Amino acid sequence: MLPIDVAAHGSRWRHRHPLEKALLGLGLTVTAVALPPWPGGPLVAAATLAVLLGPAGVAGRQLWRAFRIPLGFCVTGALPLLFAVGGPAGPVSLAPDGPRHAAELLLRTSAASLGVLLFAFTTPVSDVLPRLVRAGVPAPVVDVALVMYRIGFLLLDSVAQVRRAQAARLGHTGRAALWRSLAGLAATSFVRAFDRAARLQEGLAGRGYDGALRVLVPGATLSWRFLAASAALLGALVTVTLTLEGLYL
Amino acid sequence: MHIAEGFLPPLHAVAWGVASAPFVVHGARALTREVKANPESTLLLGASGAFTFVLSALKIPSVTGSCSHPTGTGLGAILFRPPVMTVLGTITLLFQALLLAHGGLTTLGANAFSMAIAGPWAGYGVYRLLKQFDVPLMVTVFFGAFFADLVTYCVTSVQLALAFPDPSSGFPGALAKFGGIFAVTQIPLAVSEGLLTVLVMRLLMQSSKSDLVRLGVAKLTGGAARTEAAR
Repeated sequence: MLPIDVAAHGSRWRHRHPLEKALLGLGLTVTAVALPPWPGGPLVAAATLAVLLGPAGVAGRQLWRAFRIPLGFCVTGALPLLFAVGGPAGPVSLAPDGPRHAAELLLRTSAASLGVLLFAFTTPVSDVLPRLVRAGVPAPVVDVALVMYRIGFLLLDSVAQVRRAQAARLGHTGRAALWRSLAGLAATSFVRAFDRAARLQEGLAGRGYDGALRVLVPGATLSWRFLAASAALLGALVTVTLTLEGLYL
Repeated sequence: MHIAEGFLPPLHAVAWGVASAPFVVHGARALTREVKANPESTLLLGASGAFTFVLSALKIPSVTGSCSHPTGTGLGAILFRPPVMTVLGTITLLFQALLLAHGGLTTLGANAFSMAIAGPWAGYGVYRLLKQFDVPLMVTVFFGAFFADLVTYCVTSVQLALAFPDPSSGFPGALAKFGGIFAVTQIPLAVSEGLLTVLVMRLLMQSSKSDLVRLGVAKLTGGAARTEAAR
């Protein structure tokens, strides 16, 4: 399994209803995107970090390992905003408002990424997928997603094993060997994916498979206190941001 | 290549979501029809999606010395057709956002449009076009994967240029800026993905030809074709 999903399965909020966590985590993300980046970004990021490291109980090191990936993409993506192309200053010049735009973008993306991480670190994907049918997603699409989720992890494990075996047989020593090994790895994944699907199909056929994959969904009741607290937090963030913006900007 | 969470302004995020929706709905309908007609397809499609997810996690060497990963959309579109690939690609993007913190939920529409819609359709279009001219399979596969990859990055450049127009030259300048940055790394990567896809297809022709025949990518030849015709 992947580290974020492992953390989600062991999360303190694991048994909370996914809708509660979606309202809070994705609400924080939407708030970060919709509010002005300054002072909205730092406020939303601080509130999300406080929830992540406090009540949600996510370990700081785990959070940093997951967060540094989107952060790296954000920094790389913000760099082009520092430069302007064409115009009187020459073919490439420093954009007059470039640093401000880049900083605003970084604030917005960092805060928004933390909101998604709050949801991902507390809600296993296996809890979300079966509930999507009630949200209007066609059942066959959800079934395919469930199979993808289950087989995906097995395939990732199998790919890691094959990669280790290739390395042990000097399959990564030169560029040509590396290409051969990669192609072999991708082809092996294809063959194993289809083989697993065929075996799953035989197993399910023996149990009277009628086209619907029924899975047990862990029961969870909505906590109105949690929902109210989440709505209050989001409302407070919006109010404080707009007030501060009106006062100082 | 994935546009990160929160990178796009709200209006752009919503607009790309709206632009992607008809394709995703069309793909979901095609997939639902297929599963209702053949219930066992659920597992095959799930396996196909898992393969796409794993393919996008493979690291390929880049000419610049660094590593990147294939989009997998070209191979996916050739094997499973673009409408199905749109759904599988969108689910893959959702998993990447939630399990790998790669991409995002507010940018899911934009990423789906470039990676699960434009890329697969362009790659599949080139593949079918070349097939009509009786170009050898491996050449069609190379160009299918190459264009799927390249179009994905071109559309991403357009999306970024629309969201962040250049202060001096507007959209064209921003497109040149983002396109230029992508071109340095992505043209070699598109060539790499094309080559990798050819190598994968060659191995699949040796080890899983029956699956490729079932998917309509390869044809039965010799004795196998005669046996099938006799049936």
